[in-house]
Amino acid sequence: MGKIDKWNDKVWNFFASVDLAVALFIIISIGAAIGTVIPQSIEPEPVIKFFSKFMSISSAHKAYEIVSLFDLNNVYHSWWFTFLLFMFALNLIVCSIDRLPSILKSFKTPPKPYPLEILEKMPIKSTIEINYDKILEKLKEVFKKKGFFLHLFETKDGVQIQAKKWSKTRLAVYLTHLSILLILAGALMGTFFGFRGSMNIVEGTGLSFAISDEGKAIPLGFEVICDNFEVEYYENSGIPKAYRSYLRIIENGQPVKENIVIEVNHPFKYKGITFYQASYGFQPTEHAEFRFSYIDKKGKTYNINTRFEEKFKIPGTSVTASVIDFSPALGVDEAGRLFNMATDMINPAVLVVFEEKGKQTQQWILSKIPETWETPYGRLRFNELWGAQYTGLQVRQDPGVPLIYVGSILMCIGLFICLFLRPLNYFVTVSKNKITFYSPTSKGMIEKHIDEIIKEMKGDKA
Amino acid sequence: MSYQIISIAGFLYILAMPVYIVYMLTKNKKLGFVATGILFSGALIHIYGFIQRFKEMYSINHSFMRSIPITNLYESLIFFVLCIVLGYLFIEWKYKNKTFGVFVSIIAGITIGITDLLGITKEVQPLVPALKSNWLLAHVTLSFIAYAAFAISFITALIHIIMDTENKKSFKYIFSTSSLGFMFFMFVSVILDVVTSSNPKSVKIFHSTLGNPSIAISIFSWLALFGIIFLFWALSNRIIKIFESFKITPQFLEDVTYKSIAFGFPIFTIGGLVFGAIWADQAWGRYWGWDPKETWSLITWFVYAFYLHAKFIRGWKGTKTSMIAVIGFLVTMFTYLGVNLFLSGLHSYGSM
Repeated sequence: MGKIDKWNDKVWNFFASVDLAVALFIIISIGAAIGTVIPQSIEPEPVIKFFSKFMSISSAHKAYEIVSLFDLNNVYHSWWFTFLLFMFALNLIVCSIDRLPSILKSFKTPPKPYPLEILEKMPIKSTIEINYDKILEKLKEVFKKKGFFLHLFETKDGVQIQAKKWSKTRLAVYLTHLSILLILAGALMGTFFGFRGSMNIVEGTGLSFAISDEGKAIPLGFEVICDNFEVEYYENSGIPKAYRSYLRIIENGQPVKENIVIEVNHPFKYKGITFYQASYGFQPTEHAEFRFSYIDKKGKTYNINTRFEEKFKIPGTSVTASVIDFSPALGVDEAGRLFNMATDMINPAVLVVFEEKGKQTQQWILSKIPETWETPYGRLRFNELWGAQYTGLQVRQDPGVPLIYVGSILMCIGLFICLFLRPLNYFVTVSKNKITFYSPTSKGMIEKHIDEIIKEMKGDKA
Repeated sequence: MSYQIISIAGFLYILAMPVYIVYMLTKNKKLGFVATGILFSGALIHIYGFIQRFKEMYSINHSFMRSIPITNLYESLIFFVLCIVLGYLFIEWKYKNKTFGVFVSIIAGITIGITDLLGITKEVQPLVPALKSNWLLAHVTLSFIAYAAFAISFITALIHIIMDTENKKSFKYIFSTSSLGFMFFMFVSVILDVVTSSNPKSVKIFHSTLGNPSIAISIFSWLALFGIIFLFWALSNRIIKIFESFKITPQFLEDVTYKSIAFGFPIFTIGGLVFGAIWADQAWGRYWGWDPKETWSLITWFVYAFYLHAKFIRGWKGTKTSMIAVIGFLVTMFTYLGVNLFLSGLHSYGSM
């Protein structure tokens, strides 16, 4: 029995030790750092490419074998990293169970006077000679004014005062530790009961599943339809100012949510699943259509939607027209030639051919340059090419998020209490004409504090 | 333009450095006032430039919260300098001690110099959609305030190690004196880089010295670097004496190191990690994604957590803990600059 107990003690002490915590800080840091250097990719190519920068190709292949053996290309989800985090959690739990009861007990046990030998060994000692009848009353008053709790003892060397302030803040460390456990628990919940995926929905279509990071389809139980997607750019530049999707949700054939607008930093949540605007891209489809507004000479506006190379009539005239070319970002170079700047729809433009009584004319119409809307047959504004862009959404369901938030808030509170409201402990012996201050912690602030107390006492006397 | 105003502030920070040195050597109180005055007026001009830049950004973004100039690498470096100078001026006023001024102006000078090199753009840039969030202000400002606090703990920890290590051949002693020597050399080199190049934007750091195309100058610079490091190592007793004459004790240095970390650590936790996670959660749909910046922030957090546990639970004292503080700041700098320079990731000033 004794042997087992000894072993139990050893294991317990191992997990309760700060040495383990410090070792874990270092090992987890090194592991995490490796993950930022070696490309994190399940495919071998990026890893081999990375190593071939420093060594020959054949050695790079060997390096890859070692890397994949230890999951160094997937550090943060590897068995050993998970194991380290698990150890970290265990360390926190055992360490708290180990220390918490004795601290709680120390709050309950009535304080006892300290023998003078122990006080003399404390790092801070400060003595003043003072002649004043009501020395004790004065000292008590000063301490109480500063918010200290006092215990007085009559000893053979005179009166001993134990002054304590913020002694309960020692518990804040455990609040901080608890918060880390909550965050880890939240992360665990997210991994087991949540999912992450992405959806690329082309304008005018819908999807009822997301693709997980591992490439699997996750059914959502409802369909998300993208009615429209738009990007706003800063003037005269290709830097996007904002991009947003206009979404609608259909469940069991019934529309349940309409007119949803999501933007970067403004997600949308439905049935515990959150949708984030993440990316976008160009993807021409069969249903893509060019959308124009035609304003005739009387100022009446007509909307015209047409497809590529499809003939349409200019209202009120005998003219037919069709789109024969498209450019997502038409620019003009120094020689006045037209060229395509980018694949993003920074300045979409169409080449329209007009046909009147067998006579053909061509004109580029740029959606952002009003001068190009004027045609010999009236004002034809090109609004957009609809159905040729997809919106990239991040999709997530994570029941652990509330725990993460609670953990984060508790961590902030715990740290602030721990580091800004440190417990203050003074031991003061008062004899006829001498006061001696002792303190077990040696921080510069405490000496200053004692000076303040002394000053206040003397100041009042004078 | 705002960056021209801020350049004037940068010039004053650099100018403060030799004045602080002469003050420390001569103990002439008037010079001390002049040094503080230069640094202080630099900070005032800097704040004025900061407000001008805010106005320039406001004219593009039309939003108060979105116009705080902390959105690209240049603005963040400049803000870091402002935080460290103001933080130092506070400490100088509180402790009535001007001895760290030299080191603060060296760090400020190097940082300001770097903004002129490496091709960092100083223009006001429109905000990309991901940065359009109120969390930007909270996340970035608090992170840099914490970085500045860590920078101050780095200075005091270095001096502490030099003062309190008996064995001159020990690693931490050689490491600390070399760090100081290197910082000193880098300060001069960065100024030379900026002054000698006609188009600083295209110039790399150490271009005028260690990496000079002329081999003779390059070799001379390397010799100078090692010479300076050797001088710092060999003359450290004199340097220590100067510090002692200003009533700097190892206890005091340890105390300031601790206080800066105790101030910076919770701010870094709340601003850097927690607010960063909340923002990432709202913008990208994940609160933590092991992006290099996130990972290195966590490593920074671990190093300082290590410092606090070593100090309070293990009862470590003296130069051992100061060494952790020094490593902590080096990791911080890697999180801030190294990640953007050497690793790829999502944080906005990744490209330079």
